[in-house]
Amino acid sequence: MFIHVFAYRMKILLHHRETIFWTMFFPLILATFFNMALSNLGSTEKFSPIDIAVVDNEQYRQNANLRLTLAEVSEGDDRLFNLSVVSAEEADKMLKNNKIDGYIVAERPIKLVVNKSGLNQSIIKSFADNYMHTVSATENILARDPSKIQNHISSIEDRVNYIRDVSSSGAEPNTVLAYFYSLLAMACLYGGFIGVREISDIQADISPVAARVNIAPVHKLKTFLYSSMASVTIHIAEMMILLAYLIFVLKVDFGTKTALVLLTTVIGSIAGFSFGSFISAVTKKSEGFKVAVLLSITMACCFLAGMMSQDVKYIILKNAPALLYVNPANLLTDAFFSLYYYDTYTKFLTNITILTGFIVVFCTVTYLIIRRRKYASI
Amino acid sequence: MIVRVRDLVKRYGDILALDHLSFSIEEGEIFGLLGPNGSGKTTAINCILSLLKYDKGEIEIFGQPMRPDAYDIKRNIGIVMQNVAVYNELTVYQNIDYFCGLYVKDKNTRKKLVDEAVEFTGLGEYIRFYPKKLSGGLLRRLNIACGIAHKPKLIILDEPTVAVDPQSRNRILEGILELNRHGATIIYTSHYMDEVERICSRIMIIDRGREIATGTSDELKAMISLGEKITVESYSITEAQISAIRELHGITSVEYKDNKLIIKSEKGTNNLETVLDFIRKENIHFGRIYSEMPTLNDVFLEITGKELRD
Repeated sequence: MFIHVFAYRMKILLHHRETIFWTMFFPLILATFFNMALSNLGSTEKFSPIDIAVVDNEQYRQNANLRLTLAEVSEGDDRLFNLSVVSAEEADKMLKNNKIDGYIVAERPIKLVVNKSGLNQSIIKSFADNYMHTVSATENILARDPSKIQNHISSIEDRVNYIRDVSSSGAEPNTVLAYFYSLLAMACLYGGFIGVREISDIQADISPVAARVNIAPVHKLKTFLYSSMASVTIHIAEMMILLAYLIFVLKVDFGTKTALVLLTTVIGSIAGFSFGSFISAVTKKSEGFKVAVLLSITMACCFLAGMMSQDVKYIILKNAPALLYVNPANLLTDAFFSLYYYDTYTKFLTNITILTGFIVVFCTVTYLIIRRRKYASI
Repeated sequence: MIVRVRDLVKRYGDILALDHLSFSIEEGEIFGLLGPNGSGKTTAINCILSLLKYDKGEIEIFGQPMRPDAYDIKRNIGIVMQNVAVYNELTVYQNIDYFCGLYVKDKNTRKKLVDEAVEFTGLGEYIRFYPKKLSGGLLRRLNIACGIAHKPKLIILDEPTVAVDPQSRNRILEGILELNRHGATIIYTSHYMDEVERICSRIMIIDRGREIATGTSDELKAMISLGEKITVESYSITEAQISAIRELHGITSVEYKDNKLIIKSEKGTNNLETVLDFIRKENIHFGRIYSEMPTLNDVFLEITGKELRD
């Protein structure tokens, strides 16, 4: 009986185009659009050298320190400036034509000319201020205690950036991942569509086919269980296809803990299926209404998990953090995040435990509703 | 005794859907449940099948109390629902095989049964078709095939000919008679009295969940006072002539409406010749004239005061 029901259920679901579209093709299409829209998001965060000029006057030619310092920060791939050494008139012209963000005049003190305020102008000013402080400090030490000049020079050479942008798992920071993780969470919850159908096909007061199954000499819950196993198998397979597409085609980085990523996806898929079954069991309306309810809740969960904008997630984190723990989409997104970013498993296990709790609750309520074998009305 | 229903009561809130309904069905019968839409036929069937909760009463099938987990009883029941109950994602053959598989485990036996059901319902040319590609009549036949493929001893058909073309309807009715000839006991619900009259060996007329009358077609017709009904199509009958016809021997009522003169006679009398003589004598021009014996609709009308198709 198991093979009979399981095999036919697979055929039924695989031929149900609407369900297959929403549970597999829609997430694949959305992932492709995400990739097209977000592929340049990372590159905008890369630092581009700032175009500046320095006026080629007598003081500049005599100021070896300034020439050397500017030359050093204008070399290599990670240079700070694209430097042009030009006349004062040329520098003015370049600034007016927005070819440079500012120019330096080697006077005493150094003069910085800009025609607007902005990030690049602030960086040039910060550079000029820093240079002036260092020169001033060096001159003061030379004037008061020349013996300490060596220490001062060493401290300048040993300048260290004490803050580094790293993740604890060694993974590269990547803001785009959040969108793909929430997309995968959404796809997992879309397993609910299959759950809705499963309940409709076993509740005699919802569909004539279910009434026929209820009249057959088979245990209703056994039939439901076999049938649900086929549904979950199909949805997990769909999620594996999506995951493979994300990893191998779109090159989305899921870190190195592949087995746990797969486990999270499987649990997410079961959570989605059980959520759909739960919604279908508690909603005493048509299948279309149930799907509408499921879709609304799922999209709301994904929105709150930051699928449309990461700011939403931070607003919730700040104002109602408990909401993050009752949102299955957020639990899944954060589970993928923690696998990518953290070496410890505390956050991951917390999220997976809560999600498993939800599955138990959804399944229990669904069981209590569908276990009845006679209906008040059909 | 195949089915025994005693004192069945079913309420939907304040509405009494089944009002102390009782009947029994012997092996080999085609038992018709006849009544207008909303009379309680489908509710009675759903209660018999243990799909619906009921407030009072007892239901026995094959001598055993019917329960949702009475799998031995269910194994011998076939149901053809009022609404077509098939999967749109499976082909004709797969649908029959799937539902048959819920009753028959052995694959070879099942294949044989499915092939027989396909042949029986004349769906051989359509086995690879999906239900959406089938006409209403073929869909109804598929619905029947799914219900009877496992060769049940008791077959319940709930309005199986609704929205079916005459050709398919005839085929379905012939099929039911053949199933009965092969030994199946049948419960047939319908609001089409001609169908019930044609195939059922015994008929129960129900209205508002109550039994109106039970018996064979002839027994039911014998229950009422009405006899022959003569209809004369004519444009020129006067009130005086109508009154004169009303005075003829054995006439119970005369009604002239929409250019039709309807003359009803007492049970057991034959007034066609008398009426014809009167028409000739009065030189009344007429189009058609015909005589009918009472129908089940007349039975329903006389007992309830309303038409069966209301």
